[in-house]
Amino acid sequence: MTTPESTGKPTVKIQLNGSEVEADPSQPLIRACHDHGVDVPMYCYHPGLHPVGSCRICQVEVKQGEAPPRVVAACRTSVAPGMVVDTESPKAHETRRECLEFLLKNHPLDCPICDKAGECDLQDYAFQEGQGEGRSSEPRRKLHKRRSLGDVIVLDEERCILCSRCVRFFEDVTGTAQLAVTGLGARSVIDTFMGRPLTGNYQGNVADICPVGALTLKRFRFQARVWNLTKTVSHCAECSRGCAITVEVLRRKQVKRFRPRFDPNVNQYWMCDTGRFAFDHVEIPACEPGELTGGRLTDAVQRGAHGVAGQGVAGSGVGARGLEAVDVDRALGRAADALTGAAARAIVLSPFVTQEEAGAALELARTLGAEVCFVSPPPNGLQDDLLHTGDPCPNRKGLETLGVPGLGADDVRARLAKAGVAVLVGERVQELIGLERLAALTGGVRLIVLDLVAHDLPGLEVALGVPCHVEKQGHWLNVDGLRRDLAIARSAPAGVEPLTRLLGQLAGAVGRPAGATAEVRR
Amino acid sequence: MVILQRKELTLAERLYLPEILRGLSITFRKFFKKAITRQYPEEPLPKDEVTRGQPRLVVKDDGHLACVSCGLCEAACPAYAITIDGHEVDRPIEREPERFEIDMLRCILCGFCEEACPKDAIFMSDELELADLTRAELVYGIDKLKRPRSALQKRIDYVYRINDRWRNSSSTP
Amino acid sequence: MTEIVIWVVKVVVVWGALLTTAAIMSLAERKVSAWMQYRYGPNRVGPFGVLQPVADGIKFIMKEELVPAGANRLLFRIAPALSAAPAMLAVAVIPFGYTAVIAGHEITLSVADLDIGILYILALGGLGVYGVILGGWASNSKYSLLGGLRASAQMISYELTLMLSIMAVVLMAGSLDLRQIIEGQRAFLDWNIFYQPLAFVLFTIAMFAETNRHPFDFAECEPELVGGFHTEYSSMRFALFFLGEYCAMTVMAALNTTLFWGGPSVPFWPDAPWYVGVVAFIVKTSFFLFLFIWVRWTLPRLRFDQLMRLGWQALLPLALANVMVTGAVIALTAN
Ligand code: SF4
Ligand code: SF4
Ligand code: SF4
Ligand code: FES
Repeated sequence: MTTPESTGKPTVKIQLNGSEVEADPSQPLIRACHDHGVDVPMYCYHPGLHPVGSCRICQVEVKQGEAPPRVVAACRTSVAPGMVVDTESPKAHETRRECLEFLLKNHPLDCPICDKAGECDLQDYAFQEGQGEGRSSEPRRKLHKRRSLGDVIVLDEERCILCSRCVRFFEDVTGTAQLAVTGLGARSVIDTFMGRPLTGNYQGNVADICPVGALTLKRFRFQARVWNLTKTVSHCAECSRGCAITVEVLRRKQVKRFRPRFDPNVNQYWMCDTGRFAFDHVEIPACEPGELTGGRLTDAVQRGAHGVAGQGVAGSGVGARGLEAVDVDRALGRAADALTGAAARAIVLSPFVTQEEAGAALELARTLGAEVCFVSPPPNGLQDDLLHTGDPCPNRKGLETLGVPGLGADDVRARLAKAGVAVLVGERVQELIGLERLAALTGGVRLIVLDLVAHDLPGLEVALGVPCHVEKQGHWLNVDGLRRDLAIARSAPAGVEPLTRLLGQLAGAVGRPAGATAEVRR
Repeated sequence: MVILQRKELTLAERLYLPEILRGLSITFRKFFKKAITRQYPEEPLPKDEVTRGQPRLVVKDDGHLACVSCGLCEAACPAYAITIDGHEVDRPIEREPERFEIDMLRCILCGFCEEACPKDAIFMSDELELADLTRAELVYGIDKLKRPRSALQKRIDYVYRINDRWRNSSSTP
Repeated sequence: MTEIVIWVVKVVVVWGALLTTAAIMSLAERKVSAWMQYRYGPNRVGPFGVLQPVADGIKFIMKEELVPAGANRLLFRIAPALSAAPAMLAVAVIPFGYTAVIAGHEITLSVADLDIGILYILALGGLGVYGVILGGWASNSKYSLLGGLRASAQMISYELTLMLSIMAVVLMAGSLDLRQIIEGQRAFLDWNIFYQPLAFVLFTIAMFAETNRHPFDFAECEPELVGGFHTEYSSMRFALFFLGEYCAMTVMAALNTTLFWGGPSVPFWPDAPWYVGVVAFIVKTSFFLFLFIWVRWTLPRLRFDQLMRLGWQALLPLALANVMVTGAVIALTAN
């Protein structure tokens, strides 16, 4: 959180729970409380949206001047000099408890089923401030439990507490105002205009900001209990913006959610749906038993001694289509031998490699005297004026800073065609160059591939598995040159070595005289 | 400080042999006593609703599991014996377990899952026998865990009865 | 020709009886201990568990046999046999009856009639401990080695008492021949127990020590030595040690009967037919076998220093005194 001191804005002094603090008068009182570590509950208030003061859970006791203390909604009260604020007064607690009782009056209490349970503000505050038992004997409201609001979001009307955060999100952030509170009084529900499904690339955010389990993601529905998810601080890989996110992993295996994380300089509280649902590249299934291609590559494969590309050698310890499994050391030795013997070498990076990996690749290039470039795919058309840059290369800026030029897929192909041996480095590099381009390479170029999967390319000499971006440490530079750190959210499959280490060993091996390279020591 | 006065042994006691004979006579008399061993499989242990056997899942009268895969038992289990994956179903209760596994080798029969369950979906049955040839077979899935409600009814009633202690006290203000 | 047939039949019968006794003992041990502890004991295999020894045998044969790393493989393998063989040989000179007359043949009821039968038994008894010591040493395990060491120390201490207590009986019979000894006890009142009660007590105590039985089973004492000399043994070799132990017990029980309780003599029926004598011998021997078990499940094991003190400071002087008194009395009365 930005404190008034750090922003250098004019501040005023107020009394907050007995101590004098400085507050920013342009912000509501609840902000001052939060900035000074005082927890005031809130439902309708969201720091990224304009306040409306509809839920009344944020009530605190305020005394101004000579007037008797009043209980006010902290999100709709501006800070005034000399205010005496007591968030813990009996009066404040009492009003918050009453407020909760009304909110829970019609709440279905299906926490055991509800995806929000465990990170639900209603649960938390009911536990913290509520009274434990309802006193109403009336039946609860019966409303739609499963209303689809488009491709991304499902609405449970019963759970909704009508805080209108979602309505304001579409007004304030995307500016498309697609949701509204319709109906009157006890019959109010959230609805889209004219029942049209939601559109846009930012719908997922409303599931995050919904303080209860009323809006849920179709893709995440009932996938995991949130307390079973291990959350790791990282950054999104889908465009060069590099939104701050948490990677949430179930049982150390599956990535279940990407969720935005507050970053004042880049994405505020939001992220786009493209990034939110980008599981395809981190959830590559393992290869079928006995197969070496078609799934995540662990350890390494090499072109076998027998067999020709495209012709499987059945049951001879040699995998389909002339590829055979091999351990990492042997694969590195073979790669080093190929590189040492070649006349011209090229290195092609994926735009997903981190600065650290790019550094290691440049080191290798220096040892080999090879040319380095990275594949730069064209804009993908997802660009908008909110977050998405339309450029699918999360580390374009970083690579350019290191002096690695970005080339289009066809230029890369042309460069490869001239090389004797080429090293393709980084996740998705083959896919970004284009498999058909790689398959059509002529001139006997031999490929050394470090990628997530192996393909049976005719030129393939050796392929080694690498970690994907949720399995490695390092950093990217985003479109504005800001450092975007990656952290290990789950470990890479057994047998997969960090890319920096693989490149370092390769550089070490080719640095030695020919013949001494077959054994790579770790 | 306590000063222990050692008893002086009599000559007979020091000679050992009479005492040995006395010991032999004692064991000889026990020889003819009735055995008190329980012949286990033929004479099973007495079971009643207090018996805390292996946890089992309740199948409601409509044929569906009572469990909604909320994961509370999974979280409560001190032995990390339970693993649950939920999925969506079309019924009014939208969620049910797709995979519900209890690793019986891990389960310590503590009954925390029964206590944690908000849906009365898991109860400690009176089933105690547990044997198989592989570890994998002893990870019980839904198929091996589900029991009709009637089979668990006695335990369910018992749990309600003992829980009434706090159920009643909290409903009276 | 008939001689040889008779001899072969005797060998088969006696050895068969000995091995059967060992098998029965393995069951009896478990049954008796169970009854003394309000249990049933093995009761699943066959009626009342009588087939348990068979099941055990099958199981022992099926078990994998392990030889510890670093073990002396040859000695490790032959040690169990070394411990079982002497007892099985010793039984040859035990007279289990007087003379039977079957189909006109006079048959002496013992496998061999040695005129130095007692020396033979003592010599073989002394050999029995080699199996234990070698097994312990060859296992390359400290527990086994300690078990073997203890067995040898114990053997030396108690062998003396054993011999001296027998010596008193030998003095009275004037012969080392076991048959002579039982012939001398034909009449009930001639039983040595009435003349040599002290020797009997000493012999009985030493007999427990000789066979490594409770309360003197230091060689395999579980709480201290895991399993003692047989810690590293498995499968049939492990079973052989037990076979040896039970055979040794049987021989000792039979010897006790022969030396002190008149062997096959039937009280108050001096002309009992030979088969009644055999039954009497079996009954008496059985009692001592039962005594072995009975004592085991009644008394706690001694401490090793207590064992040594008892052997050297109590039993040995008593045995010596007993021999001297006996000798003196015989010398005086002979005059
Ligand atoms: S929204 Fe919150 S309180 Fe309501 S059912 Fe879901 S978890 Fe429970
Ligand atoms: S009884 Fe206890 S250990 Fe067993 S599954 Fe339930 S909570 Fe886990
Ligand atoms: S606590 Fe009950 S409802 Fe929840 S997952 Fe366990 S058995 Fe199912
Ligand atoms: S948070 Fe202040 S009224 Fe809702």
